[in-house]
This record gives sequence, C-alpha cells and structure tokens, in this order.
Amino acid sequence: MNKEEQLRIINNAINQTKQNLKPLGYNLVFWSIVVISMSLFHYFFPQIVQFSYYSAAIYWISIPLLGMIYTTNYNIKNGIKVGYETQLDRVIKIIWGVFGFAWIFIVAISLIYKVSPVQDVLFLLSIVLIMTGLIIKFNNVTIGGIGLLIFTAYSYYNPVMNLLLVNVVGLSLGMLVPGLSLYFQKNDE
Amino acid sequence: MMNKETEKLLFNPIRLKAISFLISVEKCNFKTLIDVTDSTKGNLSIQLKKLNEAGLIDIKKYFHKSYPRTDYSITKKGKKSFEEFFKELKLLK
Repeated sequence: MNKEEQLRIINNAINQTKQNLKPLGYNLVFWSIVVISMSLFHYFFPQIVQFSYYSAAIYWISIPLLGMIYTTNYNIKNGIKVGYETQLDRVIKIIWGVFGFAWIFIVAISLIYKVSPVQDVLFLLSIVLIMTGLIIKFNNVTIGGIGLLIFTAYSYYNPVMNLLLVNVVGLSLGMLVPGLSLYFQKNDE
Repeated sequence: MMNKETEKLLFNPIRLKAISFLISVEKCNFKTLIDVTDSTKGNLSIQLKKLNEAGLIDIKKYFHKSYPRTDYSITKKGKKSFEEFFKELKLLK
C-alpha cells in the first residue's frame, strides 16, 4: 500500500460520515405540536384543565414528561439505526438535555412561587434555538429563535396578553416552522 | 516522529479505514464499521482488537433491551497517533 493509497483510504473513510439533521427536525416538530395542542386545549377547556388547584400543574408536567420519555426513546433508537454519533450530535444532545433540566427547574420554581413559567421557558427556549441554529448553521432555526426571543420580550411588556396564546404563536413561528423546514431539508451528502 | 509500532499497525487497510472513520465520529457500532471497512465480521474483530490492545481505540460493551451492543471510539492516544501518521503521510507525498 503506497502513500497515495493510504491518503485515499483516509479520505474515503472520513467522507462516509454524513450529518443527518432530520431527527433534530422531528424533535422540534414533535415538541411544538405537543405544546401548541396542550396550550389550545387549556385555552378552550379551562374548566377541565383547572378543575382543581393542582390539576393544571399535573397537566403541564405529566404530558411533557411522557413526551420526554418518548423522544428519549426515539433518539436512542435512531442512534442505533444510524450506527454512529458525530461530535455535532453530541453537542446538540447536551444542549437540549440541559434545556430539559432547566425546564423542570423553572416549572418547579414557578409552582413554589405561584407564577407562570411560560415566559421564562420561552426565553430559555429561544436562546437554545438560536444556539442550535448557529451550531448546525441552519438559518431558519436561528431566525425562529430570534423571532421567539423578540416575541417573548414583547410579551413581558404586555401583561394583558394571554400566555397560552403567547405559547401558541411563539412556538408556531419559532419552533414548528423552522422544525418543519429542517425535517424536510435535503440531507448533507 | 511516530513510533514504528503504530505506523505498522496503521499500514493495514482495514485498521486504517476503521481509525480514519472513528476520528470523524464520537462513537460508532460494529455494523457501521463493517460497512465502512468493507470486511468480514471475523477479520474486523481481530483488527479492532489489535487497535484496542495498542490503546488507539476504546471498546464499550453493553446491553440495550436485552441485546448486546458494542460501541467503538478513538482514544486520545489514537487521535494523536493518527494526526502524526497523517502529517507524515502528507510530508512524504
């Protein structure tokens, strides 16, 4: 095996790594649909969601927790199917894992102090979306994150706005649309 | 200068393909390495064992839903050796 052959082998082996961002798109679409549906259900049927003191808290914690179990399982299965994990995959996994923990922390603090977690969660989500978009170099996600950040900041100065509708509009524009464009984009070959 | 042992180890095309792929990923499974190296299970196992014994790659065995799985990743020593090997290769070209 001569030097040219060795270089060709190295080049071919490295080029077999493909960055597939479809699973990230699926995660974004899944979570935006879940939270938008939950917000709309809460908005139109408050008598069901808020029938007792703790029912709304149980509603907003139990369903996302089931979602977390589902997406974790999906991501593990997908990782096994793909067969390898790139450095970028690992960075994205860590960022969203930290977001998951921060989300639980914000919700817990909000329950203790009896304040709405919506704006804080949306603020954190917008930062994570901007970071993700910049890391994966996908402008739609970055723009979605910036849009969500502006919308969240606007909602802070308009206390009359219904926070459930803030959730619906913010997530539709900031997460669902960029998630769909990421899911349907052509893979990096 | 890299040591002769490592150079000799990377002279094998299957081992070179495996380590070149592992440098571009965080970790990967056995099936992927079969596809990448285009070799048989038995042969690949032997070559990966040699890379592991030389401290160039890590082998992690575990169970997922009762199925045995094996993940392979490159070690710090493996990265350094590969970089030196690649540098020398480019100099000689």
